[in-house]
Amino acid sequence: MTSCNRLPERDGEIINRSECLTFTWNGRTYSGFSGDTIASALAADGVDVFSRGMKYHRRRGILSADHWDPNLLVQVGDEPNVRAGHRRLTDGMSVSAQNVWPSLRLDLGSLNQIVGRFLSAGFYYKTFMRPKFMRPLYQKILSRFAPGGRVYWENSSHDIYDKRYSHPDVLVAGGGPAGMAAALAAADKGASVMLVEHEYQLGGHLLWGCSSDRMTAAVLESSVRDHRNIEILVNSTVTGRYDHNWVSVIDRSHPEFPERLIRARAGSLVVAPGLLERPYIFAGNDLPGVMLSGAVRRLINLWAVKPGQRAVILSANSQGDETIADLRDAGVEIVAELDARKGGTIIAAQGRGRVSKVTLGDGRTVNADLLVVATGWTAPTSLLNMAGDRPVYDPIAARYFPVSLPNEVLATGGIVGDGSIEELVEHGKSTGDLAANRALRLRHKRRKSLIWANNPDHPAPDEIPDNRSQLLRSPHPECYRSTTHGMVDMSEDVSSKDLMQAATEGFDSIELMKRYTTVTMGSAQGKLETVNAAAVLAESHDVPLADIGTTVWRPPFAPVTLGALAGRIHEPIRRSALQDWHEAHDATPLLAGLWIRPDHYGDAYSEAENVRSNVGIIDVTPLGKLDLRGPDVPKLLELVYVNRWQKLEIGRVRYGTMVAEDGVVLDDGVTGRLSSDHWLMTTTSSGAGAVWEMLEDWLQTAHPEWNVHVTPVTGGLTSINVAGPKSRTLLERLVTGIDLSSEAFPYFSVRKGTVASVDNCIIWRIGFTGELSYELHVPSGFAIHVWETLLEVGADLGISPFGVEAQRILRLEKGHYIVGQDTDGLTKAPSVGLDSLVKLDKADTLGLPELRAAYARNDLPVLVSLQPVDGSIVPDEACQIVAEDSNKILGRITSSRMSPTLGRSICLGQVHPTFAISGTIVTVLLVDGSRIPVTVMENHAHVDPEGERQRV
Amino acid sequence: MSELKFLSPINAEQLTTLNGALTLTDVGAATKILVRAGSETTAATYLSTSFGCSREIIDGVLVCGTRPDEWTLYAAPEMANEVIGTIPEEGFVTVLDITHGRAMIRISGSCSSLALAKVCNIDFADDMIPDGAVFSAAVAGVSCDLIRNDQTEGRSYLLTCERSFGRYLFVALADAGIEFGFDPPEGWTLH
Repeated sequence: MTSCNRLPERDGEIINRSECLTFTWNGRTYSGFSGDTIASALAADGVDVFSRGMKYHRRRGILSADHWDPNLLVQVGDEPNVRAGHRRLTDGMSVSAQNVWPSLRLDLGSLNQIVGRFLSAGFYYKTFMRPKFMRPLYQKILSRFAPGGRVYWENSSHDIYDKRYSHPDVLVAGGGPAGMAAALAAADKGASVMLVEHEYQLGGHLLWGCSSDRMTAAVLESSVRDHRNIEILVNSTVTGRYDHNWVSVIDRSHPEFPERLIRARAGSLVVAPGLLERPYIFAGNDLPGVMLSGAVRRLINLWAVKPGQRAVILSANSQGDETIADLRDAGVEIVAELDARKGGTIIAAQGRGRVSKVTLGDGRTVNADLLVVATGWTAPTSLLNMAGDRPVYDPIAARYFPVSLPNEVLATGGIVGDGSIEELVEHGKSTGDLAANRALRLRHKRRKSLIWANNPDHPAPDEIPDNRSQLLRSPHPECYRSTTHGMVDMSEDVSSKDLMQAATEGFDSIELMKRYTTVTMGSAQGKLETVNAAAVLAESHDVPLADIGTTVWRPPFAPVTLGALAGRIHEPIRRSALQDWHEAHDATPLLAGLWIRPDHYGDAYSEAENVRSNVGIIDVTPLGKLDLRGPDVPKLLELVYVNRWQKLEIGRVRYGTMVAEDGVVLDDGVTGRLSSDHWLMTTTSSGAGAVWEMLEDWLQTAHPEWNVHVTPVTGGLTSINVAGPKSRTLLERLVTGIDLSSEAFPYFSVRKGTVASVDNCIIWRIGFTGELSYELHVPSGFAIHVWETLLEVGADLGISPFGVEAQRILRLEKGHYIVGQDTDGLTKAPSVGLDSLVKLDKADTLGLPELRAAYARNDLPVLVSLQPVDGSIVPDEACQIVAEDSNKILGRITSSRMSPTLGRSICLGQVHPTFAISGTIVTVLLVDGSRIPVTVMENHAHVDPEGERQRV
Repeated sequence: MSELKFLSPINAEQLTTLNGALTLTDVGAATKILVRAGSETTAATYLSTSFGCSREIIDGVLVCGTRPDEWTLYAAPEMANEVIGTIPEEGFVTVLDITHGRAMIRISGSCSSLALAKVCNIDFADDMIPDGAVFSAAVAGVSCDLIRNDQTEGRSYLLTCERSFGRYLFVALADAGIEFGFDPPEGWTLH
């Protein structure tokens, strides 16, 4: 393919002609140069049509030749919606048109143009409402017409996205002349500066200007790059500004990551995005060959691409005038020059694959393959909107200007006014000075307030007033729409006719009109069309544009990939000191909260049976553990537990339940008294953090006079439960200095001692399995030694490890409930059978009034043990317990398992109190819809209800 | 019989970049002693280190004011008894050996603050976090105590966290360091 439109080498071009790149477009091979965008390379090779419109599938070509160009969305490999006006060409790229079928050239979707009159704004709201039962079908069909490229869900190749934080004193959004000047001035004042430029190069519009402009850009860029206080990010976008100057930046320039989200906390934010050129509305304004003047200048001056052969130009400003010179310089014949300042206008453009005829305002029709419009600017005020500003329209300058900004946000450059390059640079400099002053004062304040920071040995910089000389607002004609109708939003195929119809239908607010017509909701997100849409609405109401207002621009300023938002996901995982051992022994992992735990080592039933007959060990490190010290610990325990604690003897253990202030069961566990002022509290695994916070909360706010120190020691003490009838025999071989006999070390006792030569172990005689069992808390650095020694020494006793699943079976056999599984956010103490534990006559306990009220009721659900009549059926947990002859819900199954000890299914469940009587048959609705009878049992424990096995 | 030796929760080899700009070291075996005492106690007077600051006292013991009325002392491995023995116990004072309960990582080198900036939303500029600063922050989602503890080779930070998070934290930091030249072993990255 020859580059038929490539111009001879030009000063200022950014392509590297010595590096030729080959790529494919819709399967055909093309070539370009390094520095080309996809669009410029295709345009150089004579491609006119890049896409089809979303609704009518009209042919579309280059409009703005930049990131915002709505017509240049393409598929690159398996990446959809790539902006061909921005994305640089790489060798071997596979580029194709998207949302066309069967091809870009012959797209059957263009048949929509025939029925276009029925596809006006909001047609789907009117058309696809009835009959209601058809809506799913409508949805299915309409979704096939959704625009955009193809997403390869199954096998897309994706890179790793990234995130990082940053704390620049000054963040400058925009690397044009004003932005660079602001960055330099701020850096010169000693501020750290992050300069973010959306394009690949600094310089803004100077890059495609005259040699003097380019020289100015080069000098500024060189100074910026040499400054050690400035971090430059090109091909990056400031996508949002949030409270406290939290600024999000998408960095696309990193060599290792496709995109990186930078979360910057800026002292001052300088907004210097320049201006965006807006299209003009007339019949045929979406034809290929109709371009904005900026697009033409970039094509010619940056990429040396001749945009057409015969041009008509409508100019309302100096850029339009300069475009004429560029066109002539590129050898384009100018067939008509229309000056909008003198009333010149375009009536219509016509053509098939590309514009071929243009009807001028004076009625003449001329042959042309290029129609250039330079009819005005849109101020991209998004970041200012996000900072709370509501820009106001100035009819003299025909664009919006910021009004009121918070102290930490400043604006400079074209967004605040017009001027020569020197004036823009000067304004940028004074803005940078001001931004640095405000940021450095803030930094000084932070350093003084942060206890660990270097307290500054100098006073804060004196506050300098904002006495920047204002940039002037150059008069500009209000050029929005000609006398004909054309496209306003080329992303969404919304025309001025659609907008006027919507206004007629009553959608007379710009926000309502936006939602009804979807104008500004496409890929350009209003950058090109917001002001034109407001202008059409103003015209339809015959009111000034200033009275219409604008839609609110929200983050992100530019589209962000989901990958960038997700980035590296930090999801902490907690591991016990024994987890390496579990993994080495093929334990099936179970993620329980943040903890990774061994679910089983192959056969949970065998593991459970071994505990009942021999001895097993399980890693229960996630059990929350809080070290409590001080003389006032009993007072704290009295406050947070429902039962009494003052008289617990040293060496003894008590079970306790906590309820929240609404009486709902919050957590439970055992607490042991190790010495007069030293206690160890255990909590549920999931509740450890919340309980610690609660204890600290009460100590620090309600009872700061109590002498209690709470220290979480969950990970520091590895917990090993040794359970089974042979557990005492095993421990007698390893524990030194402690009499383990039942008389000397009865159930619910605790001792400190040495296990397997490891000192400072805590040994509890408690259990969750219903068997004789001990819980060893050993210093975690030696945990693996203790664990392996237990297995080694207990080999002849039939010891084996067991996992969480076996433990769940065993505890269910024993009827122990689990807070959070067998209780929920409504379960109060009376429901779980804590009657003997709860002391309603205590002076104070958290939730006591609610507990008293709860015990006065007789309608609370009751936790009961249940056994299906057919013992081979295990109802799923959460299956509903229903009335016998209806689906009225009477309760639910909270836990269920097949019991290896009983050889039948067993459950716990909450039921209405009427059905909680032993022997009652209730009905359980299974997942498959069948119903089974289930018997309410007398005790929670299915196995050994008297507790003889655990008390031996 | 199993060998009785202290095992760090991380148990990883040191990672370092070829240019030495970033090093990640598991220092979990260090002695760690928690002291909680009111400001009026002799322990507080003895430790004499304000909240947010650290200083080295006798024999390389680093005292850190981790929270108001709370200090953490770090020393070489197996020095718990010696360190505890130096702390006056008059008044309501809690002294707890938390060596087994905390993971500890040192990240050093000229790129260390850049690597930390990938996982921690703290301004690591020298004037905000000078040498000796002690503070708490979430690092890769893990609640940590951090200490700026420069070494003769240059910039360095100590991070401690609850033991069970240690492996994850090391992996997250190793992952953050790939950009600077780390080459972690297989399985020691987040992705």
